[in-house]
Amino acid sequence: MSKSDDTKHVAGERQEKAPDTSGTGASILLFFVIGFALSLVVGWGIFPKLLYSKKKQPVDFNHAMHLELVDEGCQSCHFFRADGSFSGAPTLAQCIGCHDEMQGDTANEMNFYENYIQKDREVPWLIYAKQPQCVFFSHVAHVKMANMDCVTCHGFIGDSTQLPIYEQNRISLYSRNIWGKNIGGFKENTWDRMKMDDCSECHVREGVRQASVQTAKGGCFVCHK
Amino acid sequence: MSMKIDRRSFLALGVGGAVGTALTPLPWKIQDDLAIWTQMWPWTPDPPGGANTYVNTVSPLCGSGCGVTVRKVGERAVKIEGRKDFPTNEGGLCNLCAAGLQMLYGPTRVPFPMKRIGERGANEWQRISWEEAISMLAEQLGEIRQAGQPETVCCLSGRRYGSMPDLLKRFMTAYGSPNFTVMPSMADGYDMMLKRMHGVEGRVGFDLGKADYILSFGSGLIEGWGNTAYMIRINSLWKENNATIKQIEPRLSNTAAKADQWIPITPGTEVLLALGIAYVIIKESLYNYDFVNNYASGFEALRSFVLSGYSPGNVAKQTGVDQSTIVTLAREFARSRRPLALCGRGQGHVPGALGGYVAVHLLNALVGNINRPGGVWALPRPAMEGWPEPMLDAQAQAGMAKPRLDGAGGPAFPFAEQLANRLPQAITAGRPYPLKALLVYEANPVFSMPGAAAVRQALQQVPFIVSFATHMDETAAIADLILPNHAHLERWDDVAVTAGYNRPLVGLAQAVVAPQQDTMHTGDVFLQVAATLGGSLAASLAWNDYAACLQEGHAAHWADLEENGYWLDRSYAPETWSFAFPTPSGKFDFTASDGDLKALFAPIPAEGDGGSYNLKLIAYDSVRIANGAVGSPPFLIKTVSDKVLEGNTLLVDVNPETAQAAGFREGDAALLKTPLGSASVRVHLSPDLMPGLVAIPRGLGHTAYDDYLAEKGINANDLIGPVEDPASGLDATWGILASLVKA
Amino acid sequence: MTQTGDFGKPKRYGMVIDLDKCTGCGTCMVACMAENNVPFKKDESDKLKSITWMRVYRLTNGKPYPDNEICYLPRPCQHCAGKHEGHSPCVSVCPATATDYDKDTGIVSQIYTRCFGCRYCMAACPYHARYFNWWDPVWPKGMEKYLNPNVSARMRGIVEKCGFCFQRYQKAMEQANMEGRRELEEHEYQTACTQACPAGAITFGDLYNPHHKVHQMAQPDFTKGGRPRNPKAFRLLEELQTNPKVYYMSSKEWVRKAGYKPDLLDHQAAEH
Repeated sequence: MSKSDDTKHVAGERQEKAPDTSGTGASILLFFVIGFALSLVVGWGIFPKLLYSKKKQPVDFNHAMHLELVDEGCQSCHFFRADGSFSGAPTLAQCIGCHDEMQGDTANEMNFYENYIQKDREVPWLIYAKQPQCVFFSHVAHVKMANMDCVTCHGFIGDSTQLPIYEQNRISLYSRNIWGKNIGGFKENTWDRMKMDDCSECHVREGVRQASVQTAKGGCFVCHK
Repeated sequence: MSMKIDRRSFLALGVGGAVGTALTPLPWKIQDDLAIWTQMWPWTPDPPGGANTYVNTVSPLCGSGCGVTVRKVGERAVKIEGRKDFPTNEGGLCNLCAAGLQMLYGPTRVPFPMKRIGERGANEWQRISWEEAISMLAEQLGEIRQAGQPETVCCLSGRRYGSMPDLLKRFMTAYGSPNFTVMPSMADGYDMMLKRMHGVEGRVGFDLGKADYILSFGSGLIEGWGNTAYMIRINSLWKENNATIKQIEPRLSNTAAKADQWIPITPGTEVLLALGIAYVIIKESLYNYDFVNNYASGFEALRSFVLSGYSPGNVAKQTGVDQSTIVTLAREFARSRRPLALCGRGQGHVPGALGGYVAVHLLNALVGNINRPGGVWALPRPAMEGWPEPMLDAQAQAGMAKPRLDGAGGPAFPFAEQLANRLPQAITAGRPYPLKALLVYEANPVFSMPGAAAVRQALQQVPFIVSFATHMDETAAIADLILPNHAHLERWDDVAVTAGYNRPLVGLAQAVVAPQQDTMHTGDVFLQVAATLGGSLAASLAWNDYAACLQEGHAAHWADLEENGYWLDRSYAPETWSFAFPTPSGKFDFTASDGDLKALFAPIPAEGDGGSYNLKLIAYDSVRIANGAVGSPPFLIKTVSDKVLEGNTLLVDVNPETAQAAGFREGDAALLKTPLGSASVRVHLSPDLMPGLVAIPRGLGHTAYDDYLAEKGINANDLIGPVEDPASGLDATWGILASLVKA
Repeated sequence: MTQTGDFGKPKRYGMVIDLDKCTGCGTCMVACMAENNVPFKKDESDKLKSITWMRVYRLTNGKPYPDNEICYLPRPCQHCAGKHEGHSPCVSVCPATATDYDKDTGIVSQIYTRCFGCRYCMAACPYHARYFNWWDPVWPKGMEKYLNPNVSARMRGIVEKCGFCFQRYQKAMEQANMEGRRELEEHEYQTACTQACPAGAITFGDLYNPHHKVHQMAQPDFTKGGRPRNPKAFRLLEELQTNPKVYYMSSKEWVRKAGYKPDLLDHQAAEH
């Protein structure tokens, strides 16, 4: 149902019912509704498109295909280092293990091989889940100690055959995945949003170090640096 | 029927828009994003992450050679930390090392090889390639050698021991110049003292950890004397062991503040106090009979000399130290189990007169604390043992037979090995021959030698100056050619840990990060120049690269160096008394091979005419200010007190009594005048200084580097000049006469 | 009440600084600045505007020459617990929830992105341990390369201070978690100043833990607001009942007494 159709319909009725009035009330209502409707269109439809710039990943990576080829699931490439830190997006040194020679002849593979492997240049991956620099996030605490799945926060990216377009907020410069795809901030799944409140929601529920004097919730230094 | 569109319609449109907008995420989302934007401006740096690694190395930044571990994130070095398993610093650091990354990444690095195109010192340079740079250097040196004057090339090194100074010396020898010189330091004084009293060509070490009574004649024990971080650790060990530390100096330095007793002394009279203490020890027969009677010669001569003129009463008058204090010090020293007397003022950059070293060392000798636990040890000097002898062709031999420019080893100063302090006057005089080329390695003589203006003037006369500086320092600024060396964390290097450490120890520095600039290892530069020049020079420096020459030199310990990052001779023990003294008598020589003890021990007067100057200016070494070949990085300057620097103005310490007598209040502007020049300063009333003195720190007043260091304060070396010790040729300056005039 | 679940026993991280050993060399200050991305300016001689989370003060016994004595006193944030836990002078006045007291570690945190620069906390802190960024930090060209990714860089208009190198706790905890542990060994979490001090004058650890050196040295009496039982130990401005977690030790009586002077850390007490 389109909102603009509604508007026309309502406006038409009013005119018929009260032909003798000066028309002022009707036109006020009409314009109110037009303004109302336009702003809804702008706010829900146009604004999100303007707010985010769209960027293509330098290499279109096929997660699903790679997952079939590796033995240890996500951690085959996104692994923990010995010091407990998380490696994040793989570096060229990891890719080169298999890609020291061209694997297949797709355009994508050509791009990767010629522009990065051969030139020994790191792929400037755009990180969907990149948190701002004030955030400290310990993967090992969540994955090893709390036995959480990657999916809980990252969704089913592992099943994808193509990388989604990376959208970046023009004001905050955050990845869109932090606020979530839904511009209203509504979420259905745990992985839909990655804002502080989303972290906090779980931390409160699970009673994770709720030792703050100020908030009576989690201490700030639990997640901040 | 037509619809009426009026002002109210537009208002309605607006109201509708507002209501609608409120029901969209737009205002709330923008608010959130703007809040984030203002919290994290896009220009706030977001340092990239990566894998953490720790790389062990030693820091060749200063001579201490502390073991460090560099934390890297990805390819970036982000922190320098102490190596806990390194024998000297054991995890600790000095502040310069802790700020070392500012030296690695700072904008004051020399970015590429360059040649001067403007006037000297005009800071106009042209970038050249390394090929061109090396061929320019080779060409100049080749021409001088072909003209049969290889001795007219001088190499000045800031480092004394290790593969690099040894390689430079080897190059100079094979080239045919006797003029390889190391920047002056207390090591010159100690070395000369060892030669004359022990008959040993070696270096001193101190078994500091075991000493229980430390008599320090102005040594900045915790302020950069010896190995900075190691000495601070030793100081803590002394506290734990309840050792006694007595600090003798005119200023309440950090060392004096941490000592059990601060004994203020009239500057320049330390030698007299040492002799006064010797007087009491001899007079009261508190000395070690076994050592004095069986292992020493010249005691009778010394005895009659000391007893004839250095009674505590006499000494008290000249030094300002109470008679009773002198007697107490002597008794405590002689009766302690492991007493140790130390000298070398401040950080020991200015050696001081030989008499001081001899007088202080004879205290150690009197109590027999030589080559024993807790005492002074004579150690062999570090050497590149794996290298073959250099080859000298006829030209090299002829050059090497020429006298040295600085007169060291000549008839006037037969015991001296180098007297860099005498170089400027020799250059200016053009005697015994004019200097044609000067190669400067890890040294900044134009800034750090007393009488800096005269040094600069002398160097201006040298037709060809080559600097291997990593940073654009004052000496590089007047060079003709700058061939920048890799910075301290970019290169392979070794640091022979000496500076009073009492065991043979070599640390290996490795390239922690890739060179950040277009630089080249100075070792490789010299190997390439030698190869270009060919002949016996090429044969003497026949290594493919510096790494090979480093490895060959340390062949005997290379496995240790590679595995541990250092080689330490843990079992090293000094010679016993019977074999320790290869003097003509085979014994320790109390007269220091000198017939004229009076001249040897004569206090050196300060420069200046007492009539027009009523104060004495002394320079002190601050542990917060880098004062050697490198300038202070920004973090170091940040730790400097606001009682030392106010803006760029230097505050000079003056005793309140002295200041009040001259009508100065705290913060008053003044003109500090010495025979060498004057400087605008402010007065800081400080009880931490004897009356009659003015004290300023060394290491400030740079003209080179950037705004984080340049023009801050004044360079002490602009106001204080060198004073030659007639007995040794060493720079004996301890200060200068001065006056403070209201500005 | 603190819900710690299985997240380990609450800690009281604290520091003991042996003033007999401190030489005033300033390495702690530099190590702190290097670890924590502390900014610097061309002129740092105005110490009221010079950001030094760790600052070495220079105390004097006030006597004239030659009876004058000096004692160097390094001053990090004191991480006050206050009369009741979390009643730190700064935390209780912060209107932005930018500074917080963590009952699990006893650490007073500062979240820069949360701070809006009202500086109430600076007025409240009796130790002058808090600093305001009057300018955006600028690193000379190339120097931003050494910045530590574990500490966020600050921006103008906010307050910053020592956080006991909390990023090192976070890192150590990652390592421990990797090994399946939730408890840290004493040596695993050490501040940058502790580690760098060449004199070994700074000791860091859990004041609650009787096996930790800080507990043994200070011997805190938690029934009396953490007062030290060691007669050589003292805390700065003890009578304000800020209950700080930094203890000092000195064998000199005048130094211990100086620790109680209300104007102790005023600017007049020159630092060297």
